Order: sequence, then C-alpha cells, then structure tokens
Amino acid sequence: MEEGESNFGREEDEAETELLRDRFRLFAVSIAEAEAKRNEMEISQPVMECIADLAFKFSEQLAKDLELFAHHAGRKSANMEDVILSAHRNENLATSLRSFCNDLKGKEPQSERKRKKALKKEKTTPSAFHIS
Amino acid sequence: MENTFDPDLMHAIFKLVWKRRSLEREKKEGTDNLEGELGAGPSKKSRPTTANANALKLSCELVRVFITEAVQRAATIAEAEGVNKIEPTHLERILPQLLLDF
Repeated sequence: MEEGESNFGREEDEAETELLRDRFRLFAVSIAEAEAKRNEMEISQPVMECIADLAFKFSEQLAKDLELFAHHAGRKSANMEDVILSAHRNENLATSLRSFCNDLKGKEPQSERKRKKALKKEKTTPSAFHIS
Repeated sequence: MENTFDPDLMHAIFKLVWKRRSLEREKKEGTDNLEGELGAGPSKKSRPTTANANALKLSCELVRVFITEAVQRAATIAEAEGVNKIEPTHLERILPQLLLDF
C-alpha cells in the first residue's frame, strides 16, 4: 500500500517535471536562437535541444545549491546573495551577476535604463566568462 | 527587450526540486528515528524553502547567461571551421570548459 502510494507520487512528480521541462525548453530555444542570430549563425535542432536540457539540469542543480546555502545561513528563503554565491567559482560571472543584482535593487524606484546599459555592455564583450 | 526566462517558471522548477528533496529527507529521517519524537516536530525542518522575487530574476539571468555562453562559444568554433551552422560537434568541443565555468 505504502509503496503504491510513493510510486504514484513519483509518477506525478515526473509528469510535472516533464511539463516544466517543456515550458523551459521553449524559453531556452528562443534565447539560443536569438543568440545564434546575433552571431550570424544558424543553429541545428539537436544542438538547441541539448543546450535546453543542459540548462534545465543546471537549473535543478542551482535549486539544490540555493536551498543548501539558504539553510546554511539559517534562512528558509533564498535571496540574491545565495545566487551570487552559487557562481563564486567564476569571478567574471559573479561580478556580472552582482552588477545585475545592483541594477535590480536600483530598479524599484526608477526605470530600467541601467539594466539596458548593462545589457549593452554584455553585448560588446562577447565571451567574458572564461576563467583565465 | 531581451528575451529571458519567466521567473514564475523558474520558481516552479525550484519548488519541484525542493519538494522532491524534502520528501527524500523525510523518508530518511523516518527510517532513522522511528522511536524518537514521533508526533513532535517534523514540521520544523521540513518547512519548504522559498525564494524571493529578485533572487528568481537573478537565477533567470544566470541560466540565460549559461545558454548564451554555450551558443557563443559554439559559434566561435563553427566560425573557426568556416561553416555558418552550429552542429553537435561544435557543442561537444566547448562543453567541458563550459561546464567547468558554471
């Protein structure tokens, strides 16, 4: 009886994951396509699917990290610091996230002019996230 | 406007992972201390994790950067090979370093 119940729970969980994965994939594909276009490149279907799957796995991993970080700090809610912490191995990435974070903080009162500026900057420095 | 993920979608994914993990944890604890405080305090530790709105937006940005980096690096390889379509082999080439960087 109990086993049956937990099995049912798992199936339900999988169905939900599948649904979210599909929705996630739509976003991922449109981002990847836009990025390829900006590089004046075509991108083949399997590559996009693969990248979407990778990104989904990455998000799941991120969720685990955020939970652990938040709990370690004695909180039950993850905040921006936790997200930045999850990228701490890559300094460039962490810096970029921090500036995005400051933009978000500064965004509430005023408009999104800053954010656009930050995005433009990102465009001009294409691949700045390598660990040197 | 740049396209990015929907923070609500990200939240749904996070919640699903957290729910899965809390279920696993409960199962483990259930076998660990069967005699212990049975009715006492399961709710304290298994209170679900949440995330605030800005953290979700920042997570969306992080995942977006992950995807754009993958495409850009693969595009660089494709360009070096003189083709204008990104194929799986190009992705294969950049994958190890990409996964190390994120």
